[in-house]
Amino acid sequence: MKDLAKILRETLEITLAADDSFPKRFYDRLFSDHPEVIPMFHRNSPGAQRKLFAQKLAMIVDHVADPEWLDRELGKVAASHRSYGVTPEMYAWVGDALIETIGEACGAEWSDAAERAWKEAYAKIATAVIAKG
Amino acid sequence: MPEGSPASEEELPWERDRKRVAPRVPHLVLAWSLDEPERLGESIAVDRRLTVGRGGPLADDPAPRAVPVRFRPGEVRPCDPIDCSRIARVHLTAEPKDGGIRLRSLARAELRIDGRTETDGIAREGDVVELHNAAVFLVVSRPKTPAPFRGDPPVFSFGSADPFGIVGESEAAWALRESLAFAAGTSRHVLLFGESGAGKELAARALHGLSNRARRPLVSRSAATLPASLVDAELFGNAKNYPNAGMPERPGLLGEADGSTLFLDEIGELPESSQTHLLRVLDGGGEYTRLGESQSRASAFRLVAATNRDESALKHDVLARFTHRITVPGLANRREDVPLVLRALLARIAAENPSIASRFFERRRGVLAEAKIAPSFVVRLLRHRFSHHVRELDRLTWLAIGSAEDDYIGVTEAVDAELDDADSGGHAEITKDALEKAIAELGHRPTQLTKALGLKNRYVLHRLLKKHGLSEPRGGDG
Repeated sequence: MKDLAKILRETLEITLAADDSFPKRFYDRLFSDHPEVIPMFHRNSPGAQRKLFAQKLAMIVDHVADPEWLDRELGKVAASHRSYGVTPEMYAWVGDALIETIGEACGAEWSDAAERAWKEAYAKIATAVIAKG
Repeated sequence: MPEGSPASEEELPWERDRKRVAPRVPHLVLAWSLDEPERLGESIAVDRRLTVGRGGPLADDPAPRAVPVRFRPGEVRPCDPIDCSRIARVHLTAEPKDGGIRLRSLARAELRIDGRTETDGIAREGDVVELHNAAVFLVVSRPKTPAPFRGDPPVFSFGSADPFGIVGESEAAWALRESLAFAAGTSRHVLLFGESGAGKELAARALHGLSNRARRPLVSRSAATLPASLVDAELFGNAKNYPNAGMPERPGLLGEADGSTLFLDEIGELPESSQTHLLRVLDGGGEYTRLGESQSRASAFRLVAATNRDESALKHDVLARFTHRITVPGLANRREDVPLVLRALLARIAAENPSIASRFFERRRGVLAEAKIAPSFVVRLLRHRFSHHVRELDRLTWLAIGSAEDDYIGVTEAVDAELDDADSGGHAEITKDALEKAIAELGHRPTQLTKALGLKNRYVLHRLLKKHGLSEPRGGDG
C-alpha cells in the first residue's frame, strides 16, 4: 500500500503542477460523457465545486494508507452521496473521467504502473463508499 | 545579596526589561489561498528549519513540520495543517537566515520570491512569496512571544472586523486597539494622527464605543466642512434670533456632545482664532458661551480630534491639551492586513450589490462564499505604496470590479495603471519635464502621448499626468 500511496501522491502532484485547470477538465469530461449527472452539482458554484473536488481528492490520496481515516471519512462521503442521489454505476463514470484526466495531465510521466495504482485505489475506495451507502 | 548588584537590580520592576530586546522571528503570513481563503492572516513562524507542506507530518519529512498559527497579543494558537490541494505534501523547507527566511522548493510547482522564480532563495521582511496558484504569503517580522493585551482584549473571530469595524491582526492593528482602549477608559481629550484614508473616524468611533459615553451618540464633524464665517456658531451654537431675526436657537457641536464625544476631524483646518476659542473651553472644563448669550453653559464633552497633518500644523497650546495622542497606522505599517481588509470590503460590497455577489463570489451549499480573487491582484496590492490607505484600497477594489471583463477580481489594465510595481511599464523614469515637453509637442492627446512616451497604456499616462499635476482641466479617465 505504501508504494501505491507514493505513486498516487506523485502523480497527483504532477497533475496539479502541470495543469492549472485539472479539476475543470475533469468535470468537463464527466459532464460531456454523462450529462445526466450535471443537475447533481447545483449546490456549489463551479469554481467552489472544483476546489472542493481537488481538496477531497488530495485528502484521500494523503490518507490512502490509513484505513481508520478512510473508514471514518468514506462513511461521510457515502452519506452525502446518498443524499445527492448518486447511484453505484456513477462511481465508474467518475473513476473513468478522473483517471483519464490525470493520465492526460501527467503526459510522458504517466505509466502503466501509475494507471494500475489509480485504478486499484479508486476501485477500493468506490467499493467502500458503495458498501457504506 | 549586596546592594547595587545586577541580581538585586533585576528584582526592581523598572529594571526587568531594561536591557532586554524582545527577539523577533520571521513569519510567512497567508495573504491568499486557493482552497483556504478563510485562513488568511494565519502564519508560519520560521524559528528553525521547517517542512512546509499539505497535511500533517510524514516520516520522511526533511525537518519538523510547520504548524500554522493564529498570532495575537498574548496568544499563539496552533491551527489545522495546510489543506490546499495545490500545495505538495512536502512543498518546501523554510529556515531563518540573515533575518529573513531561506526557502528551498521541493515541489514541482513554481516558487516566486518577490517576483523572482527561485528554487532556493531568501525571502526578506516585506517580500511576497508565491506558491503558484496555491498560496501567497507575506514575510513579516513578529516577536517570538507576543506581549499580552493590556486590558480586556476585544472578542471577535480571527481575521474578521472587531466589534467596532477595525480589521487587522497585525501588531500595528492590535497596538491601535490597545491605545484606543486605554484612552477610552480615561476622560481625557484625544488627538488622532493618521494619513487620509487610514481610518481615523473608525478609530474615533471605537474610542467612543469603548468609553462610558457610549450610551449617547457620537457627534462627528469635519472642521474642513465648517464655513469660515460660521465656525464659532457651529461649534458653540447661538441664541434665538442671533445674529439675525428668525435665526433658530442652535446648541452647537459642544452642546450636542454634552455627555458624549465630539469627534472633530481635520482639526488642523480650524482657523487659529477658533482654535483659541476651543482652547478656552478645554481649559475651562467645558464651559462655553453660545453666540448671542451672556450666560455661560457647560458641556461635559470629550474631544477626539483628528488630523492628517504634522503636529506643527496645530497651535502648540491646543496640542498640549490632548493628553492622548494616537497614530492610526497606514497600510504600509500593517501590510499583512491588506488581504483581510480587502476581504472585509468585498463582503460589504457583496452584501449591498447582489449582482456583483453572484458574478464575483463562489457559492457553497447555496450560500455566498469567498470572492474570486486572482493571486496577482493580492500580490500587487501587497507591493503597492498606498497614499490613501483603506479608502484607496476600496477604490482599487471597485476599479477591479468595474473594469473586470471576466468573473474574477484581478489586475485589469485600469488597475495595473494605478498600482506600483517595478514591472508595470517602466514609467518610473518619466519626469515631469519629459511629460511637459511631450504635451507641448503633441498636446493632450492620450494615444499619441502614450506612444511617444513608451507607456504601457493610457491609464499609465493618466496616472502620471495626475501625479505631476498635468491633467487636463476637464479631468476624467480618458
